[in-house]
Amino acid sequence: MWKNYLNITVRNLKRHPLFSFINISGLSIGLALCMLIALYLKDEKSFDMFHSKKDRIYRIVRDDIQPDGTATHDGNTGMKQGPAFKEAIPEIEAFVRIQSERLPVKVGNEVFEQEGMYADSNFFSVFDFPMKQGNPATALSGMYSVVLSEDVAVKLFGRKDALNNTIELPLGDDRAFIPFQVTGIVPHSPLNSSIDITMLLPIQLNQRRDGGDNSWLNFFLNSFVVLNENADPKTVEAKMEKVYTASARDEIREMREKFDFKGEMRYGLQTLKEMHLSTKYVSGNGLKDSSKPIYGNILGGIAIFILLIACINFVNLTLARSLKRAKEIGIRKVVGGERRQIIIQFLGETFLLCLIAFLLAVVLVFLALPVFNVLSGKSLSFAYLFDIKLLLVYLGLFLLTSLLAGFYPAFVLSAFDPVKTLYNRVRYAGKNYLAHSLVVLQFAIAAFLIISTITIYRQFNHLTGMDLGYNDKNLIMLRTEQMKSDRLHTFKNELLKDPSIVSIAGRQGGSWYTVAKVDGKSMDFALEVLDTTRFETYQIPLVKGRNLSPSFPSDSTSSVLVNEEFVRRAGWKDINGKQVDFFYDSLKYDVVGVVRDHHYESLAEKIGPQLFIMHPKYSYGELAIKVKEGQGAKAIDHIRKVSKELFPLVPFNYEYKDVTNKRQYEVEEKFQKIISYSAIMAIFISCIGLFGLASLAAEKRTKEIGIRKVLGDSVLGISSRLSIRFLQLVMIAVVIAIPAAWYALNTWLENYPFRINIGAGVFVFTVFILVLIALLTTGYQSLKAARANPVKSLRSE
Amino acid sequence: MIELKGISKWYNTGANKTYVLRDVDLIIREGEFVSVMGPSGSGKSTLLNILGMLDEPSEGYQYFMGEAVHLLKEKQKSNLYKKNVGFVFQAYHLIDELTVFENIETPLLYQDVKQSERKAMVADMLDRFNIVGKKDLFPAQLSGGQQQLVGIARALIANPKLLLADEPTGNLNSKQGEEIMQLFRKLNDDGVTIVQVTHSEKNAAYGSRVIDLLDGTII
Ligand SMILES: Nc1ncnc2c1ncn2[C@@H]1O[C@H](COP(=O)(O)OP(=O)(O)OP(=O)(O)O)[C@@H](O)[C@H]1O
Ligand SMILES: [Mg+2]
Repeated sequence: MWKNYLNITVRNLKRHPLFSFINISGLSIGLALCMLIALYLKDEKSFDMFHSKKDRIYRIVRDDIQPDGTATHDGNTGMKQGPAFKEAIPEIEAFVRIQSERLPVKVGNEVFEQEGMYADSNFFSVFDFPMKQGNPATALSGMYSVVLSEDVAVKLFGRKDALNNTIELPLGDDRAFIPFQVTGIVPHSPLNSSIDITMLLPIQLNQRRDGGDNSWLNFFLNSFVVLNENADPKTVEAKMEKVYTASARDEIREMREKFDFKGEMRYGLQTLKEMHLSTKYVSGNGLKDSSKPIYGNILGGIAIFILLIACINFVNLTLARSLKRAKEIGIRKVVGGERRQIIIQFLGETFLLCLIAFLLAVVLVFLALPVFNVLSGKSLSFAYLFDIKLLLVYLGLFLLTSLLAGFYPAFVLSAFDPVKTLYNRVRYAGKNYLAHSLVVLQFAIAAFLIISTITIYRQFNHLTGMDLGYNDKNLIMLRTEQMKSDRLHTFKNELLKDPSIVSIAGRQGGSWYTVAKVDGKSMDFALEVLDTTRFETYQIPLVKGRNLSPSFPSDSTSSVLVNEEFVRRAGWKDINGKQVDFFYDSLKYDVVGVVRDHHYESLAEKIGPQLFIMHPKYSYGELAIKVKEGQGAKAIDHIRKVSKELFPLVPFNYEYKDVTNKRQYEVEEKFQKIISYSAIMAIFISCIGLFGLASLAAEKRTKEIGIRKVLGDSVLGISSRLSIRFLQLVMIAVVIAIPAAWYALNTWLENYPFRINIGAGVFVFTVFILVLIALLTTGYQSLKAARANPVKSLRSE
Repeated sequence: MIELKGISKWYNTGANKTYVLRDVDLIIREGEFVSVMGPSGSGKSTLLNILGMLDEPSEGYQYFMGEAVHLLKEKQKSNLYKKNVGFVFQAYHLIDELTVFENIETPLLYQDVKQSERKAMVADMLDRFNIVGKKDLFPAQLSGGQQQLVGIARALIANPKLLLADEPTGNLNSKQGEEIMQLFRKLNDDGVTIVQVTHSEKNAAYGSRVIDLLDGTII
């Protein structure tokens, strides 16, 4: 029996190779995409799940609640919270604090730049990171010990055994290099770990350097706690609240008086398991970026869309072709086949086809994985596929697809009445509602994806091509050690000796936000340490007043500049006589000029108030160097030479500002690519489906076409009549897709303060593209059918 | 063997009933060879399909080997049918993707006959019809007469008691037709009850009785 079914299936496949190809490859592509995305999602969900105490490890997080009720959420804490909570709350078994810092590492005479992380000495007893060499219990207990990952050890020491060797780090007094002993080597951290160990140092070093920071109100690291087996995190949170209000009372009072601070702070616990996919408490300071779950969701959605399209193809093509098999079904019934047996036969056929598609999909996944890794920014390996749980997911996917694609055809076909089919009394026309609605759905999805692709692409271009308010072309950013004004000027003068360098401005390096009193009210703003050449280097025009200048000696101690937004927020009409009143050093500064607004942060943020100050107490840690067009390489050689002479211990570290800026949109870029690829896939699968349907429709109507031709209809008339039917379907699809896409994309765009508006253009374009595609795919078939010799098609009836 | 009592068949065309068979009474005894004749559209095929339980009458009583067909469930009807009835069509109706051997074998698949047994039965049948050499060919590679032989072989493979043939020679030349009729004659002699629809008096003469149908009534 099964052999008979198998023979039929295989012979049918062979007899219609194009058809079989369309059917199977479409499904393969859909399945392959689903598999890839399942891999991706599994990887996302598996983050940090390898720690055996994962159910008991929590991160201490904060909600800062403003007087108006709005809250900001933050995952950062300070040195104080961990020990204070542990001491007062018995449920807390242990705490670990981690903080990251990029450090120059000296080995012999060579200096490397290396990402490092400070951690408490019990780090290895809380987290499950195996150690290759060294004792995890004691590796971090010595003040001057360091644990390296294998790859960092190789980078620093080459092939030589790194354990017990010495490296030097600038962690002594005045940042002098002092020796550290390598006390442990760990393997490369798992890719699905939020904590990536590269170079691990005892956190006391950090504490010592910052003068034993014992404040409740300084937030710069991540604190984790381990709770008892039976502890309830809600109870612990309540206790934390009490500890905080009691212990931090004085500090809070001082803060309220000095800074006019009105907010309230709540401490909470976030489970380790949730951390990676949480967008509420952002990561940083030693934790890998958390993912926005929306991207996972969108990917999952796309996978389902594409699988749906592929299944629709399968159903449509199987159904369309099944009409040609009506005779077979009639015969099988006449010779004694029951409906149940016919259903089983056709379901079996679908399963077989799905199996082929499935195996092909595995091959496709294997081939596409490298590309997908680049797109998704992951390093998924093919071996991941053979995980039991994932295999079950795939098995489920396979069964679901087979049933989805096989059920309907099997039931429709098995219901054929043999008397009707064998006596040619079946009228197929009018029964195509399902096939047609499926085609409409398919093309609606394709249209949706096209519109999304174009819009995301436009938004991306909008972001990257937006006027930043300054010129980031040929602007090199160079990290230096902290320099006071005199050292900065020596450096600048040396650099300017090369004609490829146009101008240079020092910056403090990094962003810095603070608060001051303006007209008696407190105001938050970004503080910039100014070098007078700043605006000329960045090409930011002054809109009012004057730049700070050495020719006004009092400028450095009593004048500031602000941006336009600052003026707006302060509600000033004019800057004459306006002052900014700093709380912490009780100094008053005159506002002497206003510069044009520019994007000092990423374009994901609005331009806020900004203030430029030049007081000698501030130091500079970064240089902005404007070089002549086309002379960048020469300038960099010169900068490297001068840096090496002046700062032999600082690793040379520069980047073009436009490159840095572009990198801020990596997520958007990645996302845009993924969506475009999926759209192309979706369109491709839809097209082959349409192609198949058109060929079947043309075939089914050969007799009608033959008669029309004999009656004198033209080739053009016949083929356009055939194509128009499919065009109508495509148009309905577009009409459905447009409002859906419009709504979804507007929702997405609302995340961006600087966004494009969705115009009619994209819709017109999509309609145009789809009509073109539909015409091309169906046109060929229609034309072929219309040009066929009518005598031949009629005689064969 | 078969008894029809007051059998009618109609189709609803708009508000009206269009009668295809009207109040037909008919008895077919075991071992008969009956020919059904009548003009085109008179309901011959419909009658044959009802006799073979492929089609359901709209009204009336029907008995098949002592069973009241009008009372049977689908499943029981199907069992009764597949054990006892073989069908032969004017257009042969072979499955194009199966070989001669496989086509003849198909009914046995639905009767759960073991593979070895199936092989023997099909080999027998091929031998009996002199088409052993053609067993691996596909229908498209055979002449019309050969295809009809395969069709008959398939109808007979499960040893049915009743053979129903709807214009079995309609697509054949007269020599081929004659051969088929002689085959029927022989089958009937071996005890198979046969009902055939035919337009040819000559073919009808092979049978033992002729039923004339006009506008759905036996005359
Ligand atoms: N599904 C149906 N709906 C409406 N009328 C039908 C249907 N099936 C059959 N008929 C009608 O029933 C009548 C009898 O059909 P039938 O096939 O039994 O005739 P026939 O005697 O076998 O004719 P022929 O010699 O041409 O084969 C015809 O007029 C046909 O139009
Ligand atoms: Mg007929």
